[in-house]
Amino acid sequence: MTDATTGPLAGTRVMDVSIMAAGPWTGALLGMLGAEVIKVEPPAGDGTRWVMPTQRGMGTNFISMNVNKKDIILDFKTAQGREAALKLAATCDVFVQNFRVGVIERLGLDYESLRKVNPRLVYCAISGFGETGPLAKAGCADPIMQAFSGFARANGAPGDALEAFRFTGFIDLTTASVATEAVLAALLEREVSGEGQKVEVSMLEAALEIQATRIAELLGAGLIPHPLGSESPGLAPDRAFQALDHEIFVTVHNEGEWGGFCEAIEHPELAQDTRFATSRLRVTHRAELNAAIEPVIRAKPAIWWLRVFQRKGVPSGLAHHFETFRHHQQVVANEMIARVTTRDWGVVSVGGVPWHFSNTPCEVRAPARPGEHTAEVLAGLGMEQREAVPAGEKA
Amino acid sequence: MSTLAGIRVVEFAEGVAGPLAALRLADLGASVTKVEPACGDWLRGAAPALPGSEMSAAFFELNRGKRSVALGADPPAARLLMRALVANADVFITDRGDGELGSLGLDEIGTEPFALNPRLVIASVSPWGARGPLADCKGSELTAQAMAGYTRYLGSHGEPARRLGADVASAGTATFAVQAVLAALLWRNRSGRGQRITLSLLNSLLAMKSIHLAAQSDPDVYAGPRVGGASNPPERGWRTRDEPIFFSFGGSVGAQGRPGWVQFVEEAGLSRLLDDPRFDKTGRNSTGHGIDVHELRAEYEREFARHPADELVAIIRKHGGNAATYQRADHALAHAQTRALNIVGEVLSAAGSAVKVRAYPARFSRLRPALDGVAPRLGEHTAAVAAESGIRGSVLAQMLAEGGLATDAEAQCAPSAQPRPAGSSITSRNR
Repeated sequence: MTDATTGPLAGTRVMDVSIMAAGPWTGALLGMLGAEVIKVEPPAGDGTRWVMPTQRGMGTNFISMNVNKKDIILDFKTAQGREAALKLAATCDVFVQNFRVGVIERLGLDYESLRKVNPRLVYCAISGFGETGPLAKAGCADPIMQAFSGFARANGAPGDALEAFRFTGFIDLTTASVATEAVLAALLEREVSGEGQKVEVSMLEAALEIQATRIAELLGAGLIPHPLGSESPGLAPDRAFQALDHEIFVTVHNEGEWGGFCEAIEHPELAQDTRFATSRLRVTHRAELNAAIEPVIRAKPAIWWLRVFQRKGVPSGLAHHFETFRHHQQVVANEMIARVTTRDWGVVSVGGVPWHFSNTPCEVRAPARPGEHTAEVLAGLGMEQREAVPAGEKA
Repeated sequence: MSTLAGIRVVEFAEGVAGPLAALRLADLGASVTKVEPACGDWLRGAAPALPGSEMSAAFFELNRGKRSVALGADPPAARLLMRALVANADVFITDRGDGELGSLGLDEIGTEPFALNPRLVIASVSPWGARGPLADCKGSELTAQAMAGYTRYLGSHGEPARRLGADVASAGTATFAVQAVLAALLWRNRSGRGQRITLSLLNSLLAMKSIHLAAQSDPDVYAGPRVGGASNPPERGWRTRDEPIFFSFGGSVGAQGRPGWVQFVEEAGLSRLLDDPRFDKTGRNSTGHGIDVHELRAEYEREFARHPADELVAIIRKHGGNAATYQRADHALAHAQTRALNIVGEVLSAAGSAVKVRAYPARFSRLRPALDGVAPRLGEHTAAVAAESGIRGSVLAQMLAEGGLATDAEAQCAPSAQPRPAGSSITSRNR
């Protein structure tokens, strides 16, 4: 990994002492934006190294969550490790940690301690449930927050109570994304004030942010999110319909698209039906609407519907899986999947950058080996590696 | 002082992604002018509506504090205003294609630098990405979830597809768009130059799928099962005497994990598991997303059937494990933990009634994101914004006459006097 980057955060330095996903992907996003990110692992190692599956000995979780970073190993429980941590923090713009609430104070790396060595530091603390309240010290993880936040209660077939997303880490990555937004806000504020500050992000608040519309409907109109199969509370039709072969996914946002939809299914009389004149009326009369549409869609193959909906300007799509979308021209043309070449673990597909900047292009870079940069980073602090990591504890 | 005080945002976007992004910029201190098509942002008309209002609850929350300019039936007649707005803005968030923007007088939108306003930060959001064969195709939250493979992680093969109930593609893209704008403003401070950033719903979902992409990357060389796989049965946690729970032991540091599982099984009446070779002694393989969960879940459930969920959650937490019941969202918001974080606030609607809204999703030691403002009526600020943009009254009158703009667009676009059918209260569909 070379040091030169072209992203908008080039020249920014990040110290990332987090493990698992919610913290590490924050560092990864900042790294993709061009910051120099130094991941600091404990001697025991970030647990994601051992999470299945592994590729050539390394957890693919670790690989995907630690792109665009250097990697060093420090033992904060030793005086030398703490000294190195404080020296490193003094050189950084951003600090990211996701220890359980209370642990970081014991390690001497809490905000007040780091502010003393670096008042310009933006200190990002990521927690499960927030730093105050009865569950502040409770542990958390993606499926725990899916359960706690209501996220899982909005999924499933109609009539189901709930269904969790079998997709490990989605709320973790959501949390990382919200944390990155907040860190950037604090960096921008620093340009005016000259001072850093503490940024607190919880998985709970992030899980509610990703449910923004459903929570707004609950708060504003009392609608409690509940499973609707492939449908949504706000629009109709907005669902998967069974076509002759497989399902076609289609959404109608407004009256223009409704007109296009009725033309596409060759039932112009539906466009004139007063029961279906607006989104809200179509939601109210959802059962009659579905009864009118289902047999029509079932008569022809999904591809036929895809093309006719596209021609009529109606949002539509098919369900894909890894083997069909990874080579899809749309995914390839927009670099939505990145292939990184690691030194020890082969070539790995990871998510591409989510933003494409015209002047400051970003890229995804392979993660470092655990401890690969310990000597280099410590040398930059005027320390030798043996001071910080006891012999034999290197990865 | 707010981070974005003095920053002018023009939002020409509908639905969720663009408007939510602009809302967060407004929370951070920016002023947002929303440009809407003749009949308004489609989210205005989505269900459910605020009580006593035709405005959807989601629209209200996502657009509070903004000003609304309504285009008319012939938007190109409003070119002058669009150019003035964009020329004077710091940030332009849009979900419109270059062709439509060109027809509104923003022909140079794809050029670098953007001659009309070289310092402008442009965030362009689309369903499928700026390039490629689908660049001009319409898309949606649902279709993005399907194409990104998200619907495979709910339900079972052969059953009707299910979506994530949360609008994850749109809300996720909103957060990425805010990141992009803030990062571009930081860079503008150093370079003096704006730039354009393109984002898409599909791209966002694949970025947030990184763990799974890596796991599926090369099946010929990976070892061990892939947890959370698409072919697993529906995940509904562990049954107890009442509500299901999810729980996990084993921690997240090192190869061996953390203790606690042994003490937990002893207290929960599951000591027999200590002698069962199928269970590792950390809980890693049999709890959470452990590799043997599907095989071993029933062993826990036999004992859990005797305990209420809350009691089990307390025991698990006492021994260092993670656990929660599957709460409904209203219970999540009412929970003492959520209340302690002051996540929900209130604003006064235009009609004077209090509406609950959610606060900025992070907290700062100094920054104080705003939690105020109501959503505008369609075209409520057309005249004021035009005047502020240096459009003279006679020119505005001409734009209105030609159909470029509308000042009272809501009346023009009201659904042709459709009364809401009796008894159709949206909230009656609650479960």
